[in-house]
Amino acid sequence: MEAFFIWLETSSLSSWVRGETGWTMAFPVIIAFHALGMGFLVGVALAINARVLGAAPGIPLTLLSRFLPVAMLALVVNAISGILLLVGYPTKALTNPVFYIKLACIALALWNLQWFNTNILGNKVYDTGAIPRRAKNLAIISTVLWAGAIVAGRLLAYTYVNLMSI
Amino acid sequence: MDRNPTLQALSDWLESTWLSEAFISQGYWSWPMAESLHFMGLCLLVGSVGLVDLRMLGMARGIPLAAIHKLIPFGVAGFLVNVTTGSLFLVGDADQYIFNDSFRFKLLFLLVAGINVLCFYSTVFQEAKTLGPEADMPWKVKLMAGVSLACWIGVITAGRLITFYRP
Repeated sequence: MEAFFIWLETSSLSSWVRGETGWTMAFPVIIAFHALGMGFLVGVALAINARVLGAAPGIPLTLLSRFLPVAMLALVVNAISGILLLVGYPTKALTNPVFYIKLACIALALWNLQWFNTNILGNKVYDTGAIPRRAKNLAIISTVLWAGAIVAGRLLAYTYVNLMSI
Repeated sequence: MDRNPTLQALSDWLESTWLSEAFISQGYWSWPMAESLHFMGLCLLVGSVGLVDLRMLGMARGIPLAAIHKLIPFGVAGFLVNVTTGSLFLVGDADQYIFNDSFRFKLLFLLVAGINVLCFYSTVFQEAKTLGPEADMPWKVKLMAGVSLACWIGVITAGRLITFYRP
């Protein structure tokens, strides 16, 4: 594994992300995009969860799915920026168990969002009607998962064991 | 660069307050935990104010403005969480923020967002709220929604960059 880390960290893309070659602001700008993407992705998810749990009942639930393209754009921004940050510091993230907790939280939260999109947001019955208990439980779980992803993500700066292999 | 003595005095005073001592004395994990709350507050703000702005700009037509506006209390809650945690960061390590250009930009964006929201509620909101779910918003409403969205994006960006502009 260490050979892989060394190979990645000595690549030109990795040193570019770290701001060592060319653009010194690469890392700060990538991480700023990561924060913005988080805001829009988690923001849309939390709005859906809030509506499912009974807030703002005047919003037709199916129409809330019109914000999903914003969430999906934010997801793409964060996948790209996240991979770039990982290429910059692979040892730092991949040797830290907290990173895998973050990824697991995101994977489960996205799976949850997909379930909502298929089973709840597409069904006009729920625009004004009662929402099943199961969906409300999943909205609570989704909120906890996004909070977990955020805490784990923030802790990456405080819990890493090794910064670099080179 | 020579530091402004008034700002230096402010910075020293903030770091000498009981709140600063109380926050720092909580130990190593108090800072990352407050940061995590700050990020969650950010998400609440974007998920309510940001979505209302997007609706006014023409996205998700069919949702009445009055209905989606009911999400605003979540954004206010997120903002209050962030004012609280942000104040802890400021008093906890005032020097890092008071003399930081990115922090100054963040405050500037917050100021413009604040003026914008006051203008919005004192002028166009009451009328916009009564418009039908499919209605195109008047240009003044769109302008203020655009300013709001741009300001919050600016706040997040400048906020995230603070750490790279430490004095």
